[in-house]
Amino acid sequence: MNGRIIAFCCEHSAYPAADLAGKLGLHYPETLRIIRVPCAGRVDVIHMLRALEKGASAVLVLGCEDGACHHITGNIRARERVKHCDMLLREIGIDGRPVVMFNLSPNAPHKFVKAANEITKIIKESREAR
Amino acid sequence: MEARIGVFICNCGGGMKNIDFDAAGAKVAKIRGVTCVNLISDLCLEEGTEKMAARIRAENLDKVVVAGCSPQFKEHVFRNVLENAGLDGHLLCMANIREQCSWAHDGDVTEKAVDLVKMAVYKARLLRPVEKQDIAVDRKVLVVGGGFSAVASALRLSRVGLRPTVLEKEAVLGTSSEELQRFYGFDVSSMIGAAEGDANIEVLTSARMTAAKGAAGDFLVTIMREGEEISRKYGAIVFATGYRTELALDSGLGLPAENEAVSGPKIVSQEQLFDMLNDPFTDTKPRTIGFVFGFSDENSRFPTLATLNNALAAKKEWDSEIYVFCRDVEVDSEGVEKLYREARECGVVFLKCEALPRIAVDNGRIAIEAEDVFLGEDTVVACDLLVAEELLFPTEGTAALSSLLNIRLDSRGFYQDENVHLYPVASERKGVFFVGGCRGDLDMGRVLTDISSAVMSIDKLLSSGTITAEIERVKADPQKCVACLTCIRVCPHGAVQLGRVDGGKEIAVIADLACDACGICAAVCPAKAIDFQGYRDDQLLAQIEAIGES
Repeated sequence: MNGRIIAFCCEHSAYPAADLAGKLGLHYPETLRIIRVPCAGRVDVIHMLRALEKGASAVLVLGCEDGACHHITGNIRARERVKHCDMLLREIGIDGRPVVMFNLSPNAPHKFVKAANEITKIIKESREAR
Repeated sequence: MEARIGVFICNCGGGMKNIDFDAAGAKVAKIRGVTCVNLISDLCLEEGTEKMAARIRAENLDKVVVAGCSPQFKEHVFRNVLENAGLDGHLLCMANIREQCSWAHDGDVTEKAVDLVKMAVYKARLLRPVEKQDIAVDRKVLVVGGGFSAVASALRLSRVGLRPTVLEKEAVLGTSSEELQRFYGFDVSSMIGAAEGDANIEVLTSARMTAAKGAAGDFLVTIMREGEEISRKYGAIVFATGYRTELALDSGLGLPAENEAVSGPKIVSQEQLFDMLNDPFTDTKPRTIGFVFGFSDENSRFPTLATLNNALAAKKEWDSEIYVFCRDVEVDSEGVEKLYREARECGVVFLKCEALPRIAVDNGRIAIEAEDVFLGEDTVVACDLLVAEELLFPTEGTAALSSLLNIRLDSRGFYQDENVHLYPVASERKGVFFVGGCRGDLDMGRVLTDISSAVMSIDKLLSSGTITAEIERVKADPQKCVACLTCIRVCPHGAVQLGRVDGGKEIAVIADLACDACGICAAVCPAKAIDFQGYRDDQLLAQIEAIGES
């Protein structure tokens, strides 16, 4: 899995946004692999850690905008979990393989592409710094 | 026994030019567990689905992977195909090789497409069927409240053939609907008459809801009426408990204390002004009237309408000079822009201020001082009458009612909509709806829209008498569940309760009708006891595994 980015996409926001990005021909890095989840709140720390364990260079968790989560608190829970996961990674001394959460709405394909590009940039910068 | 997985690859009628389908098919055939690979053009069209069903039967497939467009787009079509071919719809997994692969990238993406199919195959191996069942639901609806929105909802519900019960805490219906009659000329009393005469509608006055449990289609509600406790079953609950207003005298708006004002100049509410205007025996004719609104709250729809109506009436009745101090005039309700124009044409002066006006009693008159943002300078107006800002609150008892059903309130104490943009009348609990003033500052047009959409949702939910539910799609494993209550606390839809299954120990039981399949409980469960078909831990990890191997 050289340089794969795993993106957990909420089927109410990020997944349709990714579809829309494709329909509009907005390009994002080919290394992105999308896993569809019913809500960002479904994503557990174990999923993020397993992704890194299997060699992913970054993990994205993409959920609905604040206050617009289909399942009310799912995006807030996801953010806390991402924070927790990030803390665990720091504790065991793994850096340069970020776990990041972004919020977007289903009609914001540009935001999806921005998230994908941003994470790619972060990975590249941390690789160059080393 | 290894599952027989069939992969169907669709080229979308030649819409994916940067994938080499023959090469992809050959690679997919090598993935462990794949029984057959079928390249079919236009899989979602009738011809394609027929071929697909025939292949499922001929190859005796257990699981199906469809590689093509986004599952958001055509998943339901392919689920139907599976069901027609005798398989459960949940045994389908889709690989999105169109929107998220072919269309999203330039150049040859055959490799990525194969990867995506591999992810789907790995997940498909672990899929299990989900049983469907028709659950009988009650066709009765409880409408809490006795004002305009409640009565109008009950009438509409009765018209679509459901049986509403109107629950009012006062002795008669419509006690606080007078304002509507005044501002909108709406005939509430004849509506109440119609509701009381309707054989489908039951009216319970002097009654309160004291307890409620259950889920959509099957709520058990306890009602206290004249010291007597009644238990009833309802399919859905509508809250139409309305709002109340309060004069913003002591909420830091810089108004003088009430007693000081009464002796000389007067500070009144919109309602009091309306009474003064309609009092045939009054001889007060204030020469100058000042209106202040829109500083305590962003929503000023309701005060805008009240101000415009009252200002126009005062102009006509008394020919007073009128100054309106406000932050925003909200004219997005029906007919309000016209009223605003009329008001300006007959001489009402609107002053837009960002900061709260300073109000002082000066020489028997009320001085309003504010900085007009357009003039950029301080303006002082001396008035005989000040119509003060009113604050909007939910009716008393809203918090108690919401806690009975575990429904959140917003920062001002109104009922919180599930999703303000998408489902404004739905609560986070299926089968519980809010209409009208109890969910915020609404004008009449919006209240009527609320009623229509709530009635439509309830009709869809209950009219057939049964709801088809997926049985135990989300389920706690009795062996692993230790009844720690975490899932009960986090479930956004109030779908989890403690219960016993087959007389065993107490575990978390998820109500199939109330569950909205978000999987939050499955993620938080410390014992990893909750299985969520389609998004189980092992199914998600299998996809990661597939990516890892690529």
